[in-house]
Amino acid sequence: MNRHNFRIILHCCLLLIVFTAAVKSEAAGIEFDRSTYSLKRGAVTFQNLCMLCHEMKYLRYQNLLELGFSQKQLETFRKGKNIQETMQSSIAPEVAKLLFGIQPPDLSLMAKARKNGPSYIYNLLTGYHETAGGVIRNQILPDTSMPDVLAYSIETDVQAREQLEKTAREVAVFMEWAADPKADQRRRMGYWVIAYLVFLTFLLYLIKRRVWRRLR
Amino acid sequence: MGQLVKWIDARFPFTKFIKHELTDYPTPRNLSYWWNFGFLAGFVLMLQIISGLFLAMHYKADVALAFDSIEHIMREVNYGWLIRYLHSTGASAFFAVIYIHMARTLYYGSYRAPRELMWWTGQGLLLLLMATAFMGYLLPWGQMSYWGAQVITSLFGATPFIGEQVVIWLRGDFTVGDATLTRFFVLHYLFPFLIVGAVIIHLVALHFVKSSNPSGINLADKDNIPFHPYFTIKDLYGLGIFLIIFCYFVFFQPGTFIEAANNIPANPMQTPEHIVPEWYFLPFYAILRSIPDLLGGVVGMLLSVLIFAAMPYLDRSGIPGGARNRPWYRVMFYVFVIDVLVLGYVGAQASSDLMLNIGRVATLIYFLTFCLLPFISRKEEQWLRKQGLPVEIEELLRYESQQQQKKDDV
Amino acid sequence: MSDDVIKSEPEDCGRRKFLEKATGAVAGAGIAAASWPFISSMNPSTDILARAESQVELDGIASGEMRTVEWQGKPVFILRRTEDQIVKMSDSNGSSKDPEPDEQRVQKSEWLVVVGLCTHLGCVPNRNADGWFCPCHGSVYDNSGRILKGPAPRNLDLPPYEFIAENKILIRKA
Repeated sequence: MNRHNFRIILHCCLLLIVFTAAVKSEAAGIEFDRSTYSLKRGAVTFQNLCMLCHEMKYLRYQNLLELGFSQKQLETFRKGKNIQETMQSSIAPEVAKLLFGIQPPDLSLMAKARKNGPSYIYNLLTGYHETAGGVIRNQILPDTSMPDVLAYSIETDVQAREQLEKTAREVAVFMEWAADPKADQRRRMGYWVIAYLVFLTFLLYLIKRRVWRRLR
Repeated sequence: MGQLVKWIDARFPFTKFIKHELTDYPTPRNLSYWWNFGFLAGFVLMLQIISGLFLAMHYKADVALAFDSIEHIMREVNYGWLIRYLHSTGASAFFAVIYIHMARTLYYGSYRAPRELMWWTGQGLLLLLMATAFMGYLLPWGQMSYWGAQVITSLFGATPFIGEQVVIWLRGDFTVGDATLTRFFVLHYLFPFLIVGAVIIHLVALHFVKSSNPSGINLADKDNIPFHPYFTIKDLYGLGIFLIIFCYFVFFQPGTFIEAANNIPANPMQTPEHIVPEWYFLPFYAILRSIPDLLGGVVGMLLSVLIFAAMPYLDRSGIPGGARNRPWYRVMFYVFVIDVLVLGYVGAQASSDLMLNIGRVATLIYFLTFCLLPFISRKEEQWLRKQGLPVEIEELLRYESQQQQKKDDV
Repeated sequence: MSDDVIKSEPEDCGRRKFLEKATGAVAGAGIAAASWPFISSMNPSTDILARAESQVELDGIASGEMRTVEWQGKPVFILRRTEDQIVKMSDSNGSSKDPEPDEQRVQKSEWLVVVGLCTHLGCVPNRNADGWFCPCHGSVYDNSGRILKGPAPRNLDLPPYEFIAENKILIRKA
């Protein structure tokens, strides 16, 4: 193998290492279960709990079909609303503003709007604790008006706490999906595209070498 | 098919043009892969125009609709997510390719006579590209889009006497608003076609003076080879490598080039904690921030982009070529590159005292490299000649003066 | 230019030709595949496709009454025909321009569902006692939506629909 080819392969390996490192570093941290089962559970929790106050204006009920819900199950979610409609909160925004002093933010893109979105969401939901003065505070957002929706701060039983943490993770991955429903399709297509490009580039390389040999 | 071509050739220099400018076009045989980047830049330009065109079919340039229209593209338009990520990643790819292209030109001295016009058309292209990118970034109407535009348009307020009016005129409103968004969309759509025009001029200049090459001097005609098939295949191969890296980002890490804060709709009442421009503007942003005076900062930032134009005149060495034959110039080049990287890092950080000081030193070094070049290049030539130039350089110089003699005799 | 380029072709010219052809084919396939997303993006987006169906309640339409509903952005006439009208329509096949028995144009003879766009140039015809009259160029349709007179070439188009309940129809995607 001549020096030139060696350098090419060395560079490719280096690139590969860098890319894998980049990918791996993202996955480090909290162990999220991204299975369809977990996503569906997160969706259900989101519908029953989070949507009391929050909305997802960029998600339509019909998008939930992509997670594997049936039309019948969707009927319970949308409570009579058209399947085409976007997921609105149960509470009217003006009432929410009155109760909390601020309109609860739309959550469609929250998982992308924060660095390490799913971890942020998980830490927020489980960040409630009781302070010395008896007040319940959130570690991530100390000034938030959002109450301890999982009732995590008052839960003392270890197993129950673990259950709540699991619920928090499910909500986080559901929100991650909701922020980017095409992510799976995108990655699957990516494998094919990169494989194709590697193959094509290899063919081009063969022709290039053959053509340039003529100069010797 | 052949008949059709013959018919056209009798009326239009089609085959002649293709032969002269493409297939038989004489190219130095010793071009390295650093010469692939001009072609790559042209490719990315085409990619951006096409992806932008198809995005524009669904995008709505209205403050009430813009953010929603992007989400519509991402979620509901067939392959909208793909076209969007091609365009957002393509912008970064464009700058990466252009910066490497510039680095190649600086390293090998390709800006020197007779290629000054190429360098200056390139300069113009860089400015057009920066303007296009800046305006394009406002279009998603996210928090970073809005506040980035707010800050940068405010800079025009540094204009003496009429500053405030200029800013309002630019924005079409007292703050960045619907008027700004609409005009930025229109101009963002227009500028790439101005870029195409400037690229054509750039290429006409290139074909007149022909490519430079790693040795740094104009080679004899005997050292040229036809562009096709040697460099057509080399460019395509290089394109393949580029596409692998590019598609990795598009399909697996598209968020790398989209600030998290831009996933929040623009809120004129609340500035994000940390306003950061896109990576390709960071070094210039750092220079802007390191000069405490508003006008001074703006002038400094402008100068840092425009000063490249002076290179053909700042470099006063008679030694042919670039860093290859000139060790002092090579050191300056690497110092400059590292300095730009440092500036880039500083530009991304929040303004702390430490960062400010590092930024100031780096800005100083940035301008010093240009300012000292005339002296250093001359001194270096003297030193090199005293040392005795390497045989190859002597030969090259002798050969070049011979060529020059021949030209003068004619 | 360099002399060495004009070297003679290598012996394995056949292999090179194959390599070039194969690469060309692979590249061509890639370009075709890459164009598809752009072409596809011009097709209706998923939200529009979802709205491509319209559900219509038939309650509240009296006998002899016509209602216009929207389907894929187009008007659809729903006519609840009287006994008299049904008899008259089944007696004839329309005109010689586009003969069609009435039975083929309805699922339940009481309900006529037709696209409310004149098959000539797309104007919306006006309702009258005997059917419809298009004001643009004078085409005349009967109570089965069949063209009787005028420049229109075809009977009023039938949208794809089905009865999903006694008094509810679903007009589907084409």
